[in-house]
Amino acid sequence: MSRSDQRSIDILLYLDDALTGQKLEDFRAHLAGCSDCRERLEEELALSSLLRKARPLYLAPEALRARVAAVATEQASVFFPASDRSRKTRIRNWTRWSRDVIRAAFSWKALAAMTLVLILSLVFVPKAVKRVRAMDYVEAATKIHRNYLDGALPLQCRSHSPEVVTAWFAGKTPFHFQLPPPHPAPNGKAVYWLAGARLVSYKGSPAALVAYETPTEKISLLVASAKSAIVAGGDQVRSGDLTFHYRTGANSEVVTWTNHGLAYALVSPLSGSPQHSCLVCHQNMADKNLFKQ
Amino acid sequence: MGVTFPPEKRLFLGQILDEVLDGLYGYAMVLSRDRTEAEDLVQETCVRAVQAIESLRPDSNVKGWLFTILRNIWLNQLRQRRAAPKTVELDVDESTAEFAVETSKDPYALYVSKVEREQVREAIQQLSEEFREIIVLREYGELSYQEIASVLGCPAGTVMSRLGRARSKLRSLLSGSLRTSHRRAKGAAE
Repeated sequence: MSRSDQRSIDILLYLDDALTGQKLEDFRAHLAGCSDCRERLEEELALSSLLRKARPLYLAPEALRARVAAVATEQASVFFPASDRSRKTRIRNWTRWSRDVIRAAFSWKALAAMTLVLILSLVFVPKAVKRVRAMDYVEAATKIHRNYLDGALPLQCRSHSPEVVTAWFAGKTPFHFQLPPPHPAPNGKAVYWLAGARLVSYKGSPAALVAYETPTEKISLLVASAKSAIVAGGDQVRSGDLTFHYRTGANSEVVTWTNHGLAYALVSPLSGSPQHSCLVCHQNMADKNLFKQ
Repeated sequence: MGVTFPPEKRLFLGQILDEVLDGLYGYAMVLSRDRTEAEDLVQETCVRAVQAIESLRPDSNVKGWLFTILRNIWLNQLRQRRAAPKTVELDVDESTAEFAVETSKDPYALYVSKVEREQVREAIQQLSEEFREIIVLREYGELSYQEIASVLGCPAGTVMSRLGRARSKLRSLLSGSLRTSHRRAKGAAE
């Protein structure tokens, strides 16, 4: 360590009141005779003051604060009854409960209570985490859809052909993704058609955005690996082996589902109907009548 | 002194998270330089902390632990990104970054505070990554030298010498602001 580094450290420790005893005396004696160090100390004080005035450097957005609180609250609610609102009461109850459990160590009641808590935590904590992660995927899909509508995410591949779009995605995503081949519409009139695609990012990994259109509406399908994108919650509808999760937001409706290790989120405008969204995939299939209004 | 985690308080991870959230978010911002990524990082940190809370020792330092989780998630993402094709960022709009609400100050003081914060942010973003990290962990995460050493996985002595060099660089980047701030303080005193 250089002499300059050591002097910097001494100044930092002095500012933190972390110098004590002989070291403090030595440093004060050095300061008295060293104008460079006195000047440096003043500069450090000024810098500390400026840095402190800039606190917090970034303020966490309220939405993030709410999400974080939701995750943590779900965890706490596993252990505490919902009617116990007061934190102090909670601490008191928990402390009293812990003390009683210790006193009655290994009695069957204590063991039963501990087992119950363990089971509840094993059941509810993962569910709470899963719900929050599922909402995260829905929010990401909605945001991407909005950015796509606003023109912030223009399509990188424009084609009505599923084969072209599938080929364009090859090697770009960490998962294999293939759009189904087109089937001719029986009456020759398509309700929706493929408009194109682009790459987006979800949780730092590449994800696929597939766009569909009508003369008046735009629908987007976000496809990500089910390892990072969790699908759960909402109004659930089973269809064959798949479970669809429906959610309605302020301006859009989101349907999510998983299949073969991929998580899908279909975002459509509220002006359309949920059945119409389903026709994106089913318009040319034998079961299409199930989805017509 | 760090936040320790006695058993009777382990259910209040939420409270601790609430206290350190701005620090975590600030750290995520200087690492990722992207609001959306920073939010994802913090949320993922919270999810992992909740999942791992039962395995945490009662005397553990929760604050340092949370920053370490965040840093590990970030490093993992960097590794994955190096191996993955380039993708677009969804949200690079920095102009809407929130500022702290300081209702007790008069409008001029608020303006000065906002300008100074922006200058500090810009200066920090000009530092190298290792300097950015250490400044933010110390000044905005308010971690002790030992806690920073634990987060970064290096000796406390290294933390201190690196912090000294980072501050020296930051001083030169902020020299204009420091002079103005000094003049303003002097003016107020006279």
